[in-house]
Amino acid sequence: MEFKTVLSFCPYCGCGCGLLLEVLDGKIVGTLPSKTSPVNQGKLCIKGWTVHEFITSPNRLTQPMVRQDDALHDSSWDEALHLAATRLKEIKEKHGPDSIGVLTSAKCTNEENYLLQKFTRAALGTNNIDHCARL
Amino acid sequence: MSTKIKEAVRALLTEGKIKGFLGLREEKGNIMPYLFCDPKELDALSLGDWKKPGDTRYPLNQLMIKLAMAYPNETFAVLIRGCDERGLKELFKWKQLDEEKIVLIGLGCPDELAKACECEKPFPDSLIDGPKGEKVDSQKVAQVEGMDLDTRLQFWKAEFNRCIKCFGCRNICPMCFCNECSIEEDQLVGTGEIPPANPTFHLARAIHMVGRCIDCGLCEEACPADIPLRTLYKKVGEIIHQEFGYKTGLSVDEKSPFNIIEVK
Amino acid sequence: MAGLAAVFGSGAMTNSIEEIENADCILIIGSNTSVAHPLIATRVFRAKAKGAKVIVADPRRIPIILQSDLHLQQNLGTDVALINGLMHIILKKGWQDQTFIDERTENFEELKKVVEHYSPEKVSEITGISVEDLEKAAEYYAKAERATILYTMGITQHTTGVDNVKSLAHLAMLTGNLGKESTGINPLRGQNNVQGACDMGGLPNVYTGYQAVVDQAVKQKFEEAWGATLSDKIGLTATEMFPAVLNGKMKALVILGENPVVSDADCLHVEKALKALDFLLVIDIFKTPTAEMAHVVLPGAAFAEKEGTFSNTERRVQLLRKAAEPPGEAKPDWQIIQELSSRFGYPMDYASPRAIMEEIAKLTPSYGGITYDRLQGDGLQWPCPNTEHPGTKFLHQGRFTRGKGLFSAIEYKPAAEMADEEYPFQLTTGRVHVHYHTGTMTRNSPSLEREISECFLEMHPEDASELKVGEGDWVMIASRRGSVSSRVKLTDVAGRKTVFMPFHFLESRANILTNPTFDPVAKIPEFKVCAVKIEKMDRSDKSISSPP
Ligand code: SF4
Ligand code: SF4
Ligand code: SF4
Ligand code: SF4
Ligand code: SF4
Repeated sequence: MEFKTVLSFCPYCGCGCGLLLEVLDGKIVGTLPSKTSPVNQGKLCIKGWTVHEFITSPNRLTQPMVRQDDALHDSSWDEALHLAATRLKEIKEKHGPDSIGVLTSAKCTNEENYLLQKFTRAALGTNNIDHCARL
Repeated sequence: MSTKIKEAVRALLTEGKIKGFLGLREEKGNIMPYLFCDPKELDALSLGDWKKPGDTRYPLNQLMIKLAMAYPNETFAVLIRGCDERGLKELFKWKQLDEEKIVLIGLGCPDELAKACECEKPFPDSLIDGPKGEKVDSQKVAQVEGMDLDTRLQFWKAEFNRCIKCFGCRNICPMCFCNECSIEEDQLVGTGEIPPANPTFHLARAIHMVGRCIDCGLCEEACPADIPLRTLYKKVGEIIHQEFGYKTGLSVDEKSPFNIIEVK
Repeated sequence: MAGLAAVFGSGAMTNSIEEIENADCILIIGSNTSVAHPLIATRVFRAKAKGAKVIVADPRRIPIILQSDLHLQQNLGTDVALINGLMHIILKKGWQDQTFIDERTENFEELKKVVEHYSPEKVSEITGISVEDLEKAAEYYAKAERATILYTMGITQHTTGVDNVKSLAHLAMLTGNLGKESTGINPLRGQNNVQGACDMGGLPNVYTGYQAVVDQAVKQKFEEAWGATLSDKIGLTATEMFPAVLNGKMKALVILGENPVVSDADCLHVEKALKALDFLLVIDIFKTPTAEMAHVVLPGAAFAEKEGTFSNTERRVQLLRKAAEPPGEAKPDWQIIQELSSRFGYPMDYASPRAIMEEIAKLTPSYGGITYDRLQGDGLQWPCPNTEHPGTKFLHQGRFTRGKGLFSAIEYKPAAEMADEEYPFQLTTGRVHVHYHTGTMTRNSPSLEREISECFLEMHPEDASELKVGEGDWVMIASRRGSVSSRVKLTDVAGRKTVFMPFHFLESRANILTNPTFDPVAKIPEFKVCAVKIEKMDRSDKSISSPP
């Protein structure tokens, strides 16, 4: 038996409210506002209060998928990553690095954004990287 | 940090009388609800004081209901203050928790906190540590009562106008345990608008607090619009006391005001 | 953030969220604060309770106006005229902070010259705001000891977005409302880690911490650190990428957690571009409409299922803790990226996000003092150059990043697409309180869907009666780019001939209509104004369960 609350931060707007995820035996069962967070001081808006709902949604992706005969099919990580790396390599060789573009995410962490721009610049060899925040 | 509470919990855990103790844990400056199952973890126990006494209180009773639902046969201990004990008494009455399966670890509140809460009884009967403080009369209710009817309505409407409909008051409330909540229903309080129907949204909830609200103040602390919700629900409590002689959470045996209505 | 960068040399919220509650005057412009940034609205409520004057400038009667002392209902796209008008009045009355102007800014004369032409009468004509209200607003703002400005996309999503932001910055400089507590100019970021994505170099022209890709010294530093040859050619922005695909220059796209099929202006065009790609890789937590079009889809982890940091709108870097495992075979995105990179031939082998942050701190002066150990409490606000530095609560104290604050002359230009005979309505887009961006997360949340589950078009009752449509009727809304259908909601929230639609709904994609014409500098499309025509649809309410 394990019940704990884990400090995290709201994935919605830029306020960055601190919240506590209630975790019962490894499953997220609820959300509470963090009372010690300087931004929100124990309060949240309706979106923050309900973050556990989308995390545990049955619609979450659980498996890599590759396109075959015009439809997406479940695949293994190995197959999907191999295909992605190979196709990107082929396109870079044939059309040059600037024929590839990357859209990074305002929803992902700093570390992930850093890695993706590093991959774009150091591996793909282009500065074609942007995110949808101007949008 | 209270050694009395720690020792009481340690004894319960080592003797196997409880499966776990639902309290607060301090971890690098953050204070969070946690179920202590191992006595070794108790060094990190917190009583919810941070910048001011009692300013990191969480709805432990509400989490207790979730735990009891997942583990109906286990016995747990829970950290409680005066208001939480009042809450448990009502929760037993409303059959949300089983009295036999809960051990109360009581903590009394210091005067400073009792004053801020304008608390009816700032300590639990099952007091293990902390002071047995004095009752503090409510001035905030009297202040609003002092306004004439029209001014009072305008006052409340202006306060409610800030509501962003976060449902935080309901979400954090240890006494809001309904499976389906009527203030979410479009037919009862229109959905999709902020501020929500003024004053319907707030009065609907205030009415539900009859015989439920144990005046813990968590709702007001969670309100992003700083609406004086506690004053509103205190008034509800006062009316119930005046009309039916019922004090919410005072005893497990006293019948709820709904019963009294029937008798009358 | 190009506007702020041009004026001050750096672009971010100048002050902190907690400081807002101690301002004496708050100018909220183009921000539906209580809907889009509720916990910032909290600070506005508190400031108001302490006696601050709150001015809301917005074409719509948004909820925060209930807390305002003054609502300026400017015509869509006339912000520059409005701000020039305010500056005109301030200069005329001598309310400017001359010491601040003399000591900390340059090019003041140029501003003065252009503002000269914006008499209250002329501005009233352009914006539709009365002269009296303009004067009141100028007085509230200029006479406050501490005045602060809050703005969001309502300011930036215009062809004149950069001009709008610069104008606001000028207004703050003119009155000395910078570099002090509870003042400043504060862009409220719409998505939780936009600030972080920018800080981390998720932009075509800069590496982390806004270090320019064209700067040879910077390039050399990164080449050495990364062991790779880097390009010093500025890349394409998101809005430039889709046309590049259609003209055959761009062949492959990698999209991490974004959904341009719903979020981007003229999204039918985007859809066409995605179809034309040789290869599309999407990493996401849901099967979004964008993912549906991919050749390979990789399942990522949600924020609660991994470690990492987010940087909020006040530059505060905060540490996420892992609460649960990702579902099925899904993996944290940082692991996915490093596996992809290794297979591509550029090996990456970080043990954890902590190790990645160590590398970021080494290469990024403004994050130099940020370590996971130091983030345990309240987080840290950058700039935080070294491990002894406590972080920075507000920017520009004593000096701007570029030295002196730069004034410039900005003339009002009307929106790129104005209503005309064929398209007589002006459409503006925005958010509703329960949904977020393209709805991939919020629309998978039952509590939020219960509040609002369907798109709507807000229309003035008088316009509606002319079109003979009533509450809940279906209408077809068409712009020069495409058409969508939606139900009508009657409200006088906006003036006549101005309609509003939220952009979260796939069934009624508002962005089919919006204008991709973008600001020449920031390359942000004009989401906030486009011309549309509206026709009643001939279908009875019950005959359709979802829009066509
Ligand atoms: S809880 Fe609401 S205000 Fe806070 S970050 Fe999330 S969306 Fe923004
Ligand atoms: S309401 Fe009373 S018992 Fe509860 S925290 Fe306040 S003072 Fe203590
Ligand atoms: S607000 Fe009323 S209906 Fe909703 S949970 Fe509370 S008591 Fe139940
Ligand atoms: S004070 Fe508020 S949170 Fe506490 S029981 Fe009463 S209504 Fe619920
Ligand atoms: S907590 Fe406050 S803002 Fe939220 S719904 Fe309740 S009254 Fe409204």
